[in-house]
Amino acid sequence: MIRTASAVRRHARIRRSTLLGFLAVMGPGIITGFAGNDAGGVTTYTAVGAHYGFAMLWLLLLSTAGLVVIQEMCARMGAVTGKGLSDLIRERFGVRWTIVAMVALLIANGSNVVAEFAGVAASLELLGVQRIVSVPAAALVIWALVVFFSYRVVERALFVLVLAFVAYPVSAFIVKPDWEKVALGVVLPTLPTEQVALVAALALVGTTITPYMMFYIQASIVDKGIGRDLYRFARVDVFLGAILTGLNGFFIVIVAGAVLFPNHVVVDSAADAAQALGPLAGDQAKLLFGMGLFGASLLAATVMPLSTSYAICEAFGWEAGISKNFSEAPVFMGLFTLLLVVGGLVVLSPNIPLIPLILVSQNVNGLLLPIVLVFILKLAADRSLMGDQANSRVSQWIGVGTAVGASALSIALVAVTLLGAG
Amino acid sequence: MPYLSEIQHRRVIEPNGNEVGKLADIAIVPQGQFPAAQWAILSTPSGEKVVRWGDLAQEIGHFRLRNRLETTPDAQLPPDALRLARDLLDKQIVDTHGAKVVRVNDLQLSDVDGQLRLVGADVGLRGLLRRVGAESVAERLVGLAGRRLPRGIIPWHLVEPLESANDAPAKTAAVRLTIPHAKLALLHPADIADIVEEMTADERIAVFQQLDIETAAEALQEVEPEMQAAIVSDLPEERAADILEEMDPDEAADLLQDLPEERRDELVELMEKEEAKDVSELLSHSEDSAGGIMTTDLYAIPAELTAAQAIDDLRVRKPDPELTYYLYVVDDEGKLEGVLSLRDLVVAAPETKVKAIMDPHVLRVEADTPKEEVAALIAKYDLLALPVVDARKKLIGTVTIDDVVELMLPRSWKKRSLRSIAR
Repeated sequence: MIRTASAVRRHARIRRSTLLGFLAVMGPGIITGFAGNDAGGVTTYTAVGAHYGFAMLWLLLLSTAGLVVIQEMCARMGAVTGKGLSDLIRERFGVRWTIVAMVALLIANGSNVVAEFAGVAASLELLGVQRIVSVPAAALVIWALVVFFSYRVVERALFVLVLAFVAYPVSAFIVKPDWEKVALGVVLPTLPTEQVALVAALALVGTTITPYMMFYIQASIVDKGIGRDLYRFARVDVFLGAILTGLNGFFIVIVAGAVLFPNHVVVDSAADAAQALGPLAGDQAKLLFGMGLFGASLLAATVMPLSTSYAICEAFGWEAGISKNFSEAPVFMGLFTLLLVVGGLVVLSPNIPLIPLILVSQNVNGLLLPIVLVFILKLAADRSLMGDQANSRVSQWIGVGTAVGASALSIALVAVTLLGAG
Repeated sequence: MPYLSEIQHRRVIEPNGNEVGKLADIAIVPQGQFPAAQWAILSTPSGEKVVRWGDLAQEIGHFRLRNRLETTPDAQLPPDALRLARDLLDKQIVDTHGAKVVRVNDLQLSDVDGQLRLVGADVGLRGLLRRVGAESVAERLVGLAGRRLPRGIIPWHLVEPLESANDAPAKTAAVRLTIPHAKLALLHPADIADIVEEMTADERIAVFQQLDIETAAEALQEVEPEMQAAIVSDLPEERAADILEEMDPDEAADLLQDLPEERRDELVELMEKEEAKDVSELLSHSEDSAGGIMTTDLYAIPAELTAAQAIDDLRVRKPDPELTYYLYVVDDEGKLEGVLSLRDLVVAAPETKVKAIMDPHVLRVEADTPKEEVAALIAKYDLLALPVVDARKKLIGTVTIDDVVELMLPRSWKKRSLRSIAR
């Protein structure tokens, strides 16, 4: 990410007082936390709650712990080195490994873009708009907004819509779930070894700890010009953001588990998912859910292709930036456009079921997560790069544990699928 | 001329042929224009060992130690030494303002007077492909499409490694490379053009803002046509107009042709009257005709002058050399009457009228003659220049052989000779 002059000025201004300091560096973590609340997240959490009740809450707790630790690592790397994640991967591991990392990121984020478009299609279908209309329109609007305006404006506008998801924590107290069972789900690790359960579990991990978030948080820290001296403030923000992501998931699983699970609702469409908000919003549940899903999907569908193109161009030293045109930054603009086009086309394939498509995309994220984690763990523990800010033993172990856990789930899923079990 | 990626990881053997390890890295001290390789870092089974570069001899496919490994003394790297692979490879090259330009994909080394020296940073696609071992495959593929892979090498003397302001703990993270603008200006305009083509848009504009007008104009003429238009569009209008005035009128007209009409008119408006007139006239001709490629800088001799008067006139007006290949003779209305050479003029008796010594049979083309035809005529009659006349036979410009060579040669040919600065 290119550091702007305004970032440098801000940096100078921030030092003044502790409270001001905190407020000034606030943001990247919380925004990233919100971005985790995209179509993939909402759909996965709802499906998991509807199918397994509170049984997988323990996995969500572990994932959140992993997320907190890993997001903190990336933010710390950004503050110490002043460089983005793909920057560091290229400088430390050379061209070949960079290609491995970037292909993984491209596939993971590409599948996310698919999920976001599926989210756009699903939410607007609730309101009676055909996907053949909504998807191309959304792709075109995003492309035009980013190319001709600024995505910051888009970001702010869409945040308002995403606030609809505050409905979940509110609902969680209205539906009065059996808190004892909730607690049991949190502390008692159980996992059926059938294929569908593994798919759900890996999607849960993949949607909570997304490779995308790691690149995004580090880029934001660098872009804001947060250095070592200010990092202690930024750290609080990063923790809050990661916990917020987990908490969001927690409430969605609880609401779905309390409302949908007892009625054996199989979540096949957005309308099924919207039922979870029934106790709170009654007849308006569809509208409320649709609004939130639409905002979240469109927001992520805007940010995702952008940050992917930035990361890849940064790694290979290609021209990047939305103020450039096609002939100045061909790869950047090409990638950005390609992601939107391919994402849209996949969703428009005839008869493709949207909700399963979203779950599959989150599995892809889960499968690729270990690859990205290995790079992050090696970099953040490297003393010659990080000096005294290198990973402590505790965070390194939690990180390794997360990578091992995600790999184990991935391997189990692949094995079960190949063996034809479940 | 080897690249770092080609010799790194080569086997290192003892005089008797025993393999003792691999070449892990090469160290230099970043001083002088093209720093020499001074140390080799070998990776041996017992760890890294630093030896003086002179202790190694390069042979085909491997390096041979002059003495056995045990008897080769350990060398000490000074604190300011840089290791090519660890400290320079894969790093960014940024401009002096800290905006990103490109990444070091490979490093070009060259044997200069028996010493291996660092001569350039490969920032192009070729370097990237070479690193993954796909350069020759890609070259063949691109060759099938009848094209060549672009080269992107920045000569090392234009690059300065510098400690970044970031308080990173290790030097490895602190090396950033930079192209100082001041160094750019010292180069030949054609070389500046080559480097500018590799830069980001913002950086290009910064360079064209800082160069003096004359250098900027010459460099801009050498830049790829599509990029010329982009640069002129992004520059502040006043600056763009100043540079255009300084350019050859035909080059300026070609460039303006590629701009949107509105922008073109604005710029011509801002230019000095005289230059603007030349350019507007050229703009009225089709790009593919004699009128489009000719230059309107003219040197013509009135037919009524004597040889002595004509020579005096030459002394006073001092026309550019390419305008004196042939001296065109015009009547008092500017109509083309004939042609004579400098030799004819000089050997003639001083009082002879120009009209008497000129050759009235002069080959000419009209402004709307297709440029291919112009080139064919020049080639057929071995001419250095060809006069262009309008419908009333009035001399309005000349097409010189330079204009035509540029037209007939493939672009890559012209470029190739310019890439020689690093060699």
